Amino acid sequence: MPIAFEKVSYTYAPGTPFSYAALKEVDLAIEMGKITAIIGPTGSGKSTLVQHLNALLQPSDGQVLVLDRIITHADKPKQLKSLRKNVGLVFQFPEYQLFEETVLKDVMFGPLNFGVSEEEAKKRAMETLTVVGIDPSIAEKSPLDLSGGQKRRIAIAGILAIDPKVLVLDEPTAGLDPQGSKSMMQLFTQLNRQYEKTVLIVTHDMEHVLNYCDNVVVMQDGKCVTHQTVKEFFNDGKLLHELNIKVPNVLRFKESLAKGGMSLPEGISDLQTLAKAIAGRIKP
Amino acid sequence: MSNIALGRYIPLDSLIHKLDPRMKIIAMFFLLIAVFVPAGYPGYGVLGVFIVSVLLIAKLRLNFIFRAMKPMAFMLVFLLMINVLVLRTGYVLFSFYGFTVYSDAIYQTLYITFRLALMIMITTALTATTKPLDLTLAIEDLLGPLKRFGVPAHEIAMMISIALRFIPTLIEETQRIMKAQASRGVDLKEGKFKEKIMAILSLIVPLFVSSFQRAEDLADAMEARGYVPSATRTRYKQLKRTLKDYIMLFIVLLLLGGLITLAFVV
Repeated sequence: MPIAFEKVSYTYAPGTPFSYAALKEVDLAIEMGKITAIIGPTGSGKSTLVQHLNALLQPSDGQVLVLDRIITHADKPKQLKSLRKNVGLVFQFPEYQLFEETVLKDVMFGPLNFGVSEEEAKKRAMETLTVVGIDPSIAEKSPLDLSGGQKRRIAIAGILAIDPKVLVLDEPTAGLDPQGSKSMMQLFTQLNRQYEKTVLIVTHDMEHVLNYCDNVVVMQDGKCVTHQTVKEFFNDGKLLHELNIKVPNVLRFKESLAKGGMSLPEGISDLQTLAKAIAGRIKP
Repeated sequence: MSNIALGRYIPLDSLIHKLDPRMKIIAMFFLLIAVFVPAGYPGYGVLGVFIVSVLLIAKLRLNFIFRAMKPMAFMLVFLLMINVLVLRTGYVLFSFYGFTVYSDAIYQTLYITFRLALMIMITTALTATTKPLDLTLAIEDLLGPLKRFGVPAHEIAMMISIALRFIPTLIEETQRIMKAQASRGVDLKEGKFKEKIMAILSLIVPLFVSSFQRAEDLADAMEARGYVPSATRTRYKQLKRTLKDYIMLFIVLLLLGGLITLAFVV
């Protein structure tokens, strides 16, 4: 069973003057084994949506299917721990959740909570630290002494060490420099391809959607407006214009070339291939 | 945690909302004094009716006030238990297992309950109808005369307004970290004692770290803009007293006077 939202609504602070409907009857099915991007303007319900995936929020109405679980309004929070083991959620600016004395201990914290033995947790921690690109030599340092990018990688390692089947990331590249965010996105691709994790990424960066994601979900005003493959999505110029989405530079450049009379084959999405295609055209 | 009602400003448009915050603070003080005037139940009745009507004029929903009082319930149960154990005056109400409950225990608990409820209602009437910023402006103004005696009125007001400003931020931050740790398998409600301590630690340490960071950033930002506490400054928002404010204060004083008469003269 994949991940599915069925008529899910969520209202913050119901019955008060501050009541706010963040999700309105969302219907959505997420494909397993793929990287899905969730995009949409601020306040469109992206973060609320992903917090349903490991039942941090329970729907006010409707139901969420995650793996073999059905989450409804009536579920007791007690039974949800096993779900959280399978769906790892990395929040925005996850570096603020670090609290242990050493990097290693912090990464071990998650697995230990889910009943993994001390040795196994340590083994997993060392492995995941390598996966996220942290040199094991700093494992005994305090996480608070490290740089922002390193802290974020350690926080992500802390979730990965739990070994979830589904990895959900809320704006994982916010506040990172271009180089850092690029290698961060490459890490998620690797986790998807090599470790077969289903990855969901909330993002604002269309370049990332184009280059690293398989599917795209667009949220607007608490509703899921469209859900399709990235390829289809960026070919639908009318829809992109309607949703007021900034088209990635590569595609815009290709479009301008087409207007000027140089039409290139479909499906070019990265700079390298585009450059080669153009080079192929202009050679005498 | 998001529905904390105590001390929260409710943006509505009412007569009470428009009153001068300084006068409201003064009135609140007199009303709090009135709560401690030993005028017995009739006095509390009068005061209760007065405050409920103030809340109604302020267009506040009464169940909002009750929600503000909810955290007190635990305290009251505790109080009742102590009173039942300690107070042995009045007539015997009932006894069980060699345990006697006297009327004064109940009477005393109810008395304190009323007192607390009234105090919460009075302070809520102030905080729910006055913007936190107006409140601090008013505090600064009211402390103004004490500057002569070396009371740092402006600094106190600034501290209060910064503290107030960061309450929602801190609540938000707490919720965020709680959720982040819940995703790592932290369970604040269940688990062994040691696990619970760990759970609380996983919440408090990040909260401390980010609070200090934020404080430092704020201090830097203020310094960068040349903030000097003792500098004379003008205000964008000027507080103004009107006839309505004086009438309100007069009514409150009348009520206080009435209660004192009821308690000591009659």
